[in-house]
Amino acid sequence: MLPLSQKAAEEFMKALPSATVTVTGGGSGVGIAALLEGTTELAQLSRKIKFDEKNKLKEKRIIAKEITAAYDALAVVVYPSNKVTNLTREQLEGIFTGKIKNWKEVGGADLAIIPYSRETSSGTYEFFKESVLRNKNYMSGIMSMPATGAIIQSVSQTKGAIGYVGLAYLNKEVKAIHVSYDGGKTFVAPSVTNAKNETYPIVRPLYYYYNMAAEAKVKSFIDFILSDKGQKIVSEIGFITVK
Amino acid sequence: MNKKTKQKIAFSIFRLLGLLIIGILFWILGFIIYNGIGVISWEFLTAAPTEGMTSGGIFPAIVGTLCLVAGSVIFAFPVGVMSAIYMNEYAGNGWIVRFIRIMTNNLGSIPSIVFGLFGMALFVNTLGFGDSILAGSCTLGLLVLPLIIRTTEEALKAIPNSYRTGSLALGASKIQTIRKVVLPMAFPNIITGLILSIGRVSGETAPILFTVAAYFLPKLPTSIFDQVMALPYHLYVIATSGTDIEASRPIAYGTALVLITIVLLMNLLATTLRRYFGRKVKTN
Amino acid sequence: MKQFRQIAERMAKVMLTLSGGVTSLAILLIIIFLFKEGLGLFNSAAVENGYALCIHSSNPTQQLSPWQIKRIFDWEITDWSEVSEKKGEITPFRLDEIFAMYPEDEFGEDYELLPQKLGETIAQNPNIIAFLPEQYLPNGNQSVKVLPVENINIADFFGGKEWLPTATPSPQFGALPLIMGTLWVSFFAILIALPFGLGVAIYMSELAGTRTRKFLKPTIELLAGIPSVVYGFFGLVVLVPLIQRTLNLPVGETAFAGSLILAIMALPTIITIAEDAMRSTPRAMREASLALGATPWQTIYKVIVPHASSGIMAAVVLGIGRAIGETMAVLMVTGNAAVMLTSLFQSVRTIPATIAAELGEAPAGGAHYQSLFLLGCILFVITMIISASAEFIAKKDHNKGI
Repeated sequence: MLPLSQKAAEEFMKALPSATVTVTGGGSGVGIAALLEGTTELAQLSRKIKFDEKNKLKEKRIIAKEITAAYDALAVVVYPSNKVTNLTREQLEGIFTGKIKNWKEVGGADLAIIPYSRETSSGTYEFFKESVLRNKNYMSGIMSMPATGAIIQSVSQTKGAIGYVGLAYLNKEVKAIHVSYDGGKTFVAPSVTNAKNETYPIVRPLYYYYNMAAEAKVKSFIDFILSDKGQKIVSEIGFITVK
Repeated sequence: MNKKTKQKIAFSIFRLLGLLIIGILFWILGFIIYNGIGVISWEFLTAAPTEGMTSGGIFPAIVGTLCLVAGSVIFAFPVGVMSAIYMNEYAGNGWIVRFIRIMTNNLGSIPSIVFGLFGMALFVNTLGFGDSILAGSCTLGLLVLPLIIRTTEEALKAIPNSYRTGSLALGASKIQTIRKVVLPMAFPNIITGLILSIGRVSGETAPILFTVAAYFLPKLPTSIFDQVMALPYHLYVIATSGTDIEASRPIAYGTALVLITIVLLMNLLATTLRRYFGRKVKTN
Repeated sequence: MKQFRQIAERMAKVMLTLSGGVTSLAILLIIIFLFKEGLGLFNSAAVENGYALCIHSSNPTQQLSPWQIKRIFDWEITDWSEVSEKKGEITPFRLDEIFAMYPEDEFGEDYELLPQKLGETIAQNPNIIAFLPEQYLPNGNQSVKVLPVENINIADFFGGKEWLPTATPSPQFGALPLIMGTLWVSFFAILIALPFGLGVAIYMSELAGTRTRKFLKPTIELLAGIPSVVYGFFGLVVLVPLIQRTLNLPVGETAFAGSLILAIMALPTIITIAEDAMRSTPRAMREASLALGATPWQTIYKVIVPHASSGIMAAVVLGIGRAIGETMAVLMVTGNAAVMLTSLFQSVRTIPATIAAELGEAPAGGAHYQSLFLLGCILFVITMIISASAEFIAKKDHNKGI
């Protein structure tokens, strides 16, 4: 989600030089926490606001408005020369919860599986857990990378690696896995087209939440993102447009 | 084996280790200079990041780091120097000084990430500064305080007592003696400490993570309550996140080179100053 | 005029005295803030704040530990008989599932019918364990029992082996892997750095000529001056792939990579202090040894190194201190997996890296935030012990001289 806000802020400030947008990283949890503390007017979240967070906002009498800015598909990636191409959700769950430990158990070479995860602060971490692991916890002691870029880097140089990244981050240095959510009947490759026609299952909305009290301050930026120009940035980065 | 051979073997190992440590330094520096030098250009130093931080420059990060250096030094330098004057000129040699010295040493040994935690709890949340230059500078100021105190104290200690007694005997008060005699003589060495702390502050990442650093903010700060980008944090961000790690690698090398140049220049300046004034004081 | 000067003098003295107390005040504040937040963790409930666990009233289960709760919701404990006298397969239930059972409009405008629906669901299933927000608890329903929740306890924190601070319903704050990880990585760093640093220190103090020394000294100062994030970057792009390739490891981000980087970072500390200690060997001792026919090498390891031993000890202790608190470099090269280390070639997560990676996400005041402050307290206490022992060793050395 960070690249979207960064690029949008960049273009927005180019179009409207008098405006200032500060983009801070750190993960979805950081955004809501900052909204609660009043240190930000606009929080970017790659997951839906948690029930608990909603309650906290209510306690502080902050009315938060939700805007869906784009959609993102999560791709499961492996080392480029890995023979495995198809995995079911159940297999992925087994891999990331630590029940499946070797590639030969899912039709690959006799090689230990090394799952890479994001840090707990990221919305990607939460969404993957919710969608693929069905709310079960990741295996304890999973490798956690501070950012998606680091996952790509590690997966591209580690033979037994498997990780999950936003569609926007896919490149030639890693191989994307075709995923099945119907027990292995159909395997779908992650792509913008497949995400748009809803055949690819691991798709999540990307949200902006803002404090209604500060609406005047952030409205122009929100409008910009939802405009044709803003949505062009969305698709340029590799996300899926709202319309 | 005879003892001559043993000695030969041992000594060659030590020589090798001495060479190796020079080798390590040159490996690290060489690697960053080799990869970074091509990136450095006028535009890189004076422009804001563009194209999703895969091109453009790092100007806002340079300015941010300068702000943080200035802010922390404004806070820590006077306090540190005064603290050292108190310990060396006023407090005598009793338990108070020993206690303060232990406390200063302890403060100096606290890991930088703990300063980050503390800065977030006190400056950002409790005092309500928010993520700002002010909060970051205060945190960094505390971090370098022991360094400034220690170097100032050493500078003061180096001045022979005869100067003080001479000045006092001529009827000058204690404060006058400190202001007119002790401080001017210690000045060069105090400045050396200041320069060393500038080097230290500009390279710290952990204390600014949660107190000031912004991921992307191409505008320059207008008040002390603004967030800023900073060189070390920018390097961390560029090295680990971003959609296209390969495309942003050159930027990372360039940032590392600029950062290392600032830090090492400061160190070099400090050593040169120390050597120069050290000689001068002796010939006096 | 004279009076004015006196007042000015007095004010100046007050200012100076106040400044003298500033470092002590800073330490005091750090202790207060760290421990106030950190110890708050033990007053937090073991289940996520604002939530409760409900079971059927016929269920005899009295209490569940955080560990059991986690395993139940991970489907690892599947039968009630594993945790109480009751038999039957456990049905874990989360709030979201209710929305799949009824159409949205049946819950009422502001979800006022939600508690009633939840109550019905629990009443129908005697094997259920439901994780629900406190404000929607079906309070009036006779067949629903709220499971009492204990607070997070000290033993779970220091003895727990799982660090899953955002797990629901029951976050796991087992800091043991982090503490052990930090200690092991630092310990191995010193194991690498000590012989290396000692060798260079001997070379500099005993063998090298003035010119070599003049060259080596600034080299070591420069090595000490390189920012840790630059070391981390170097480790990430050079060392990690290098280690992975040359040792043919499945992963490059290992404790070994962390130790190697930390060793380089701790070298300047070790060299400088050890060299000072060796140089302070009295000339008479050296010469006496040489005059008795010992070779220079024998003099070094039989006279100089033993004489400098407490200085070397202090160097080791301070080197460990430097390594334990190091954040950025370790965060970038160790892979950050919270496991109990069984080999050097495994990924590891240290305390500083955990704080740096997670503090931003944790809402202020929550259990997760508090747990990170508690980790900060541990780090603080460890470094205080280290600097106190370095002080103690240095003092002992001083007494020996007299």
